[in-house]
Amino acid sequence: MFNFYLLVVILLISFLFFFIGLKEAKKLRLVYKNNLHSLPHYYGFYALLASLLPSLGIYFLMTIGDDFLFSHMIKSYIPDEVTNAKDYNFLIALAQINNSVEGLIFGTPPQWVTDAAELWKSWVQTSNIIVASLCLLTSIASGYYGFLKINQNFRSRNAVEKIIMTLLAASSVIAIFTTIAIIFSVVFESVRFFALIPIDEFLFGTVWNPQFEGAERAGSGQQGLSQYGSIPLFAGTFLISFIALCVSVPVGLFSAIYLSEYASSKERALFKPLLEILAGVPTVVYGFFAALTVAPFLRTTGSMLGLDVASESALAAGLVMGIMIIPFISSLSDDVINAVPQSLRDAGYGLGSTKNETVLKIVLPAALPGVVASIILAVSRAVGETMIVVMAAGLAANLTANPLEAVTTVTSQIVTILVGDQEFESAKTLSAFALALTLIIITLCMNFYALHIVKKYREQYE
Amino acid sequence: MSDKANDFKSLDLTVGDVFSKEARLKARNVNVYYGDKKAIDNVTIDIGNKEVISFIGPSGCGKSTFLRCFNRMNDTIDICRIEGQITLDNENIYDSNIDVVPLRARIGMVFQKPNPFPKSIYDNVAYGPRIHGLCENKEHLDSVVEESLKRAGLWDEVNDRLLSPGTGLSGGQQQRLCIARAIAVSPEVILMDEPCSALDPIATAKIEELIHELGNEYSIVIVTHSMQQAARVSKRTAYFHLGKLIEVGKTKEIFTRPQHNQTEAYISGKIG
Amino acid sequence: MSKKFINPLEATELVKNSIKKRRAKDNRLRLYGRIAIGMATCFLLFLFFSIFTKGYPGFFQYYVTLDIKFDRERIDPKGDLSDTSLYEGEASNIVNESLFSIINPQGRKAKKEARKIVSSGKDLRIAKLVKNDPSLFGTVTKVKFALDDDIDSFLRGYINRDTPESERRISDNVIAFVDKLSQENRISYEFSDYILKGSASGNPEMAGIKGAFFGSILTLSVCLLIAFPLGVATAVYLEEIAKKNKITEIIEVNINNLAAVPSVVFGIMGLAIFISIFGMPRSIPLVGGMVLALMTLPTIIISSRAAIRAVPPSVRDAAYGIGASKLQVIFHHVIPLAMPGMLTGTIIGMAQALGETAPLLMIGMVAFIVDVPNSVMDPGTVLPVQIFMWADFAERMFIQKTSAAIIILLGFLITMNAFAIYLRKKLERRW
Repeated sequence: MFNFYLLVVILLISFLFFFIGLKEAKKLRLVYKNNLHSLPHYYGFYALLASLLPSLGIYFLMTIGDDFLFSHMIKSYIPDEVTNAKDYNFLIALAQINNSVEGLIFGTPPQWVTDAAELWKSWVQTSNIIVASLCLLTSIASGYYGFLKINQNFRSRNAVEKIIMTLLAASSVIAIFTTIAIIFSVVFESVRFFALIPIDEFLFGTVWNPQFEGAERAGSGQQGLSQYGSIPLFAGTFLISFIALCVSVPVGLFSAIYLSEYASSKERALFKPLLEILAGVPTVVYGFFAALTVAPFLRTTGSMLGLDVASESALAAGLVMGIMIIPFISSLSDDVINAVPQSLRDAGYGLGSTKNETVLKIVLPAALPGVVASIILAVSRAVGETMIVVMAAGLAANLTANPLEAVTTVTSQIVTILVGDQEFESAKTLSAFALALTLIIITLCMNFYALHIVKKYREQYE
Repeated sequence: MSDKANDFKSLDLTVGDVFSKEARLKARNVNVYYGDKKAIDNVTIDIGNKEVISFIGPSGCGKSTFLRCFNRMNDTIDICRIEGQITLDNENIYDSNIDVVPLRARIGMVFQKPNPFPKSIYDNVAYGPRIHGLCENKEHLDSVVEESLKRAGLWDEVNDRLLSPGTGLSGGQQQRLCIARAIAVSPEVILMDEPCSALDPIATAKIEELIHELGNEYSIVIVTHSMQQAARVSKRTAYFHLGKLIEVGKTKEIFTRPQHNQTEAYISGKIG
Repeated sequence: MSKKFINPLEATELVKNSIKKRRAKDNRLRLYGRIAIGMATCFLLFLFFSIFTKGYPGFFQYYVTLDIKFDRERIDPKGDLSDTSLYEGEASNIVNESLFSIINPQGRKAKKEARKIVSSGKDLRIAKLVKNDPSLFGTVTKVKFALDDDIDSFLRGYINRDTPESERRISDNVIAFVDKLSQENRISYEFSDYILKGSASGNPEMAGIKGAFFGSILTLSVCLLIAFPLGVATAVYLEEIAKKNKITEIIEVNINNLAAVPSVVFGIMGLAIFISIFGMPRSIPLVGGMVLALMTLPTIIISSRAAIRAVPPSVRDAAYGIGASKLQVIFHHVIPLAMPGMLTGTIIGMAQALGETAPLLMIGMVAFIVDVPNSVMDPGTVLPVQIFMWADFAERMFIQKTSAAIIILLGFLITMNAFAIYLRKKLERRW
């Protein structure tokens, strides 16, 4: 609540400066008979921005910074007998203190935790006072500075526009920061994982059997029962993706051909959005559908045919995922088929070829790169898909090509490892980040290649 | 190269009198590049006070590009680069401390295709005065809008539907609306880039009449495809070919006694 | 040329002979296309049919009507209607007594089983009733209580009374009690007031989506407040302001790549950056909204850029021609004209965010939280995650509740998408 009030007060001060600036500019305008460089409200905006931006900057820096500072400062208040203990972990101690600060007290925490929490609370109060006074002072001081700059020759419009342009440019950099954040969050942990488990074992091992082993054992590099060979996971991922492609490529491609070449405009208007609904259904719904409708259905059908179908078979997940990616293939293929110039079709029809011949021998070969790109994009979608496999595929890391057996995938392992309680520093937790890194690399490569093909293809017809 | 030498070179190229006694706009040795391509080659010309001057020439000769240099519209194109000097009342408009915004308020522009904003007729005309803060109150703004529409000869046709969208007017009306919009900010010079090329003959006739009238108040530079139009509306004419200014002179003389053989070829229909 | 040119007559003949085969091929391709479309449509219909038939009963449940003696002494021992006082009261005993007076259980075991017939939320229900209307005290009023989920499933026919007692979830005793209750017309099948008003609960008969619903609204609000301004600002910068140089190119490639990153990876980033490094709490809508915002940002940027590109250059020229500055052109003309397209993209992005589950699992929004979140800093969950959690529970009744929650989620998604389509149709401008 404190933060909220502080922000409101800062906003109010900056609005005050807006009106002061506006009034001053109007006065100047009367004095100089319309010879003012900019419209009066730009002077107001300038004063507003001058007051608001520096204090907001200080506010965010300080609120982000104080946690770092406190957790560093608290270190010296943790008693020696705790820090010297064998299973001591600073992050756990910090979490205990933080919980106590937030009033989440489980059982009776040790005395030092309560003391440290009290200390922490007093620091928070002090820092609140410092932040508030600093922000308010800055907003008044910088607002006054902005006000002082208002005179007849000051180009306030240009100044305001420059600030806004900078803000716009800054927001576009968020995309880069996001990418950096993603890389940062997986690479560091992955490096630590590869320090524990050799990279070749991860990439080429055929057994995936992670266990929580306690931080100290994994830390000392001792090999326990755990094995981190990722091949079964990738095999499972690609098996499910392959099944999905077997469903979605024929259905998607034929739908695209039909919609772009054969369908009347009415049919097109009806079926195109209908196919796109499939892409809009949340994946958790598909997962539920796969686990509770498709999987039991396959199991009963299988047992009638005398086949033993696992209740969490790759087939169920793959089929449903196939349904999900139909629209990715159909709408992108539809786009590229439509982009084939009409003149090529006319050439075909002019020779007296049937629609079938025109489509298969002229249009489709011309559109082939785009179609391939759409399939690659669909595969990358399937590889990264999480909820369907979490809900419908199992957790058993079988290395098999039999679609009736249970397999597991990269994404479902990531979710299982990272959801819920984690052990700090354990190879199991870290393995999720290594899996994520591999997953990102694979999907990005596919995406890159697909976009490259599409771009080349577009250039061909432009 | 000294300025003198440059002047000499350009004068050597251009036939006729490029200078004007009461010059408002002066272009000196202007070169324009699109990337590596040279679009305007060393052009020097004056635009006089309250005179109507036409730029003619075959398509792609650079006349529109050159026109857009006068109000720095080429700034909006990234790859466009300009050398040389253009002055408005002896002030270099490409000087680094010149703000293009007031400059464009002084030098208005009307475009090839009528391009009213998708707003009401009133808002279209009032937009300029609003952003430049020309009017103190609503009544003043109303009278500016009315006067501009009257000068553009549109008032009688639209005074009962000022709040309906400007895009709903006919092509000729839209173009007159654009002219009204340009004169609402009280410019000193109006640049017109083939203002009638998208219009039918009747609308064209109305616009030409309007240009003729406006010529008493403003300096007008008009780029046109049609030699007849140039002959009808302007006192001076400049003929461009492949980015070069070939010949400048009184309109009558250019059309009756062209001095340069390329001008003659164009006028007699051999280039086009 | 060694071979002679084909004689036209001969050619006509050849074509004539083969035409039937070629036509057949043509028809076959058309048929394949129709089958493909038909299959896709069937998948869709089957998906919706299966969800709706399962989910529709989830909006209803069985209730039992009992005569409750509202005895103030026993329900509200402190007499101040406070939570602690009502908690100390013995409302459940009153309900059980009323129940026992009808079914009359004999023996300890039967009584124990009988107590479970009425959902364990009975005391809360009575507490709520007397809080809303203290004048109930001293009266005997008929009150409806939800039945336990096993009995609910039995009444729906999922539990067969012919199976041996040891193999079914409810005993013969309970079946007899339920029969007795239905003989007295005390059992009714009604619209469930828990599905919409209830929150997460381990008892399926009391579980509802209220908490998840508000969690979704809070999370989406955060997402919208972050993603929309950032997305539009980025799109405007890239289309209108940025010079075409290396940095712009890097940003563009970045945005395209972000659109391809699997959603679960955004969750990992949220976990590593927002929670581990910035020390934000787990499970809160603020972090969820931030993660979803970064995830939907590419969608919004890409569609906003397309919308900006569709604004004709003549409008910009016109504004520049009168002396508008770059920002005036952008804010007075380009953004208003591109707004419908930007909004459409944003709504589609929000629909995507509303249905997203995986990244939110990563940042701990999967926790079991009974309270409805009041602010973006309160722990909460969202609809799709609630669906995911319910789908994992073993109780039969949760399947119906899950499907009912899915229907509600799909309802919102369809509404949002329909609104986007409407907006596009309505505000679309032809230049």
